[in-house]
Amino acid sequence: MIETNKDRLLTIAVQGEIVSPASAGYRVQWDGQSKMALGMGGIKYNLKVGDPCFGWASGDHVEPGVTIRGKEKADPSECALAMLACIGNEAVVVSGDAKGERGAFTGRHAGADDMVWFPDDALEKLAIGDKVQVRAVGVGLKIKGFEDVRVNKCSPRLLESLGIEVEGGKLVVPVVKEIPGFLMGSGIGWSTVLEPVDYDIQTTDPKAIKKYGLETLRLGDIVCLRDQLCTSGRGYYKGAVTIGVVVHGASDYSGHGPGVNPILSTKDERIATRIDQGANIAYYLGLRKRP
Amino acid sequence: MVKTNRDSLLEVALIGEITHSAVAPSYTTGWDQRPRIGLGQGGIVYNVKVGDPCFGWEMGEKVEPGASADGVGDEREKGAFRNLSCVGNRIKVVGGEAKGEWGTVVGKVGYIHGGGHHVVTHFDDETLEKLAIGDKAQIKAHGTGLRLIDYPNVRVISCSPRLVEAMGLKEKANKIVVPVTKVVPAIYVGQGHGGSPAEANNWEIQTQSPDAIAHVKGLRFGDIVMLDDILSAWGRGYFEDAVTVGVVSCGPSDSLGQGIGVTTLLTCREGEIIAKVDPEANLKSLLGLGGGDR
Repeated sequence: MIETNKDRLLTIAVQGEIVSPASAGYRVQWDGQSKMALGMGGIKYNLKVGDPCFGWASGDHVEPGVTIRGKEKADPSECALAMLACIGNEAVVVSGDAKGERGAFTGRHAGADDMVWFPDDALEKLAIGDKVQVRAVGVGLKIKGFEDVRVNKCSPRLLESLGIEVEGGKLVVPVVKEIPGFLMGSGIGWSTVLEPVDYDIQTTDPKAIKKYGLETLRLGDIVCLRDQLCTSGRGYYKGAVTIGVVVHGASDYSGHGPGVNPILSTKDERIATRIDQGANIAYYLGLRKRP
Repeated sequence: MVKTNRDSLLEVALIGEITHSAVAPSYTTGWDQRPRIGLGQGGIVYNVKVGDPCFGWEMGEKVEPGASADGVGDEREKGAFRNLSCVGNRIKVVGGEAKGEWGTVVGKVGYIHGGGHHVVTHFDDETLEKLAIGDKAQIKAHGTGLRLIDYPNVRVISCSPRLVEAMGLKEKANKIVVPVTKVVPAIYVGQGHGGSPAEANNWEIQTQSPDAIAHVKGLRFGDIVMLDDILSAWGRGYFEDAVTVGVVSCGPSDSLGQGIGVTTLLTCREGEIIAKVDPEANLKSLLGLGGGDR
């Protein structure tokens, strides 16, 4: 069992609004064909963390559950919600018919979208434009004895539920899959701020999808990114290890695919992994029953 | 000689202006968490030219050699300047003290996430001394639509007929052999994935990990390089057996995932292009550009 500094963390209210899906017409896929895509923004009644990343008709970058955005600044990525909300934080609806319903923050899709899980009966009452408030706690989180490991966008609740063991001076983290660093695509290098930005496991090369078994990835999966360092920004560093949460679905746009929010990162051999097909935040946060 | 469709290409005028030097409004945080001020992006850099080394410039961050220009007008008009200009095109100063002087487009740099776009140009020293930030310059854009007639699966991007004919392309067993100074594996290729179109945005070779730096430390501005397993057609990303050939258009970076800029010239999906390593594969000699004697 790991120990943390969770009793020293500030807990702060941050707020967003449920946004409408948006469409600007056709977009070009990796193969030169065009696509009218859906699955980003708004309320997805039949897509939740724990569901597959692939296989949704015309879906692209599908975002599970409810998509909200901070509104206090023009750029959602600069809002407090984007910077401070951590995966596993409690969310509560503060306006509209679903007022008082509770859910959980499940990740951030760079550019604009923050994602929240709500139970089905709450989804039926929610409307686009409703306000959702998140009790943000997790920024500054550190693991005792592993203070050099960068923790990002990870609530104490999630960190403690990951099933981390300490062996031989390393954190051993259960993950569903190891991803080679050269598959990391869109989002790499963007800005030197880590918190508001995910980056994509590329799932456009048919050969790579097959070779690395990427088609089994699920929303909410915990994955290991090899040779990737996520401290300030995201990028290649030989020997580095990053653990992340899959926050959105696959894509047909070249260089894109399931997005990952990094939650733990080191360049100094401080993290090892163990394969566990149940390593998914839907189970860890009690949002779905284990099969 | 590799056959092209150069006789069916339109040649059009694009108007832009010399940009200001682009410096971040606050310290940037490097990969090692330390603060920095980076300089050398955009504007006029008097003492770095095509042919000079990419590394070794104090506090340099994505240094662009020579003078950088961007389009003027609305976003569509700027888009024309960024998308249609081709490496090897001629550019003429049309305002200010350097009016009437000619230079050459040597690269294009476009940052994906709200960053600037620069067409990187080479002028001789005498012209650089007369050039002012804000001076208007016009490109005779020639190259969009260029095809290698016998190689329909190779896409030519931002590459003028002048350059494609100077690159020393050879044909061997139904493949194109391209002289390059370096082959870069996909693991070192960072920002650029997912960004579209390749015409306006560059690739970056990541320069933070010691092994990556060792691999590319000898690169020079204007070098022709190959990015292995990287496809730049209709978007950009990792594809096994794909190839992207490009020109080094800006210098290294201390920010994670960022680094030496590569402007795409040729790309293919199934290995139709193969590399021949040649230390002379640089725009300075290929296009006969002066300066860059460091």
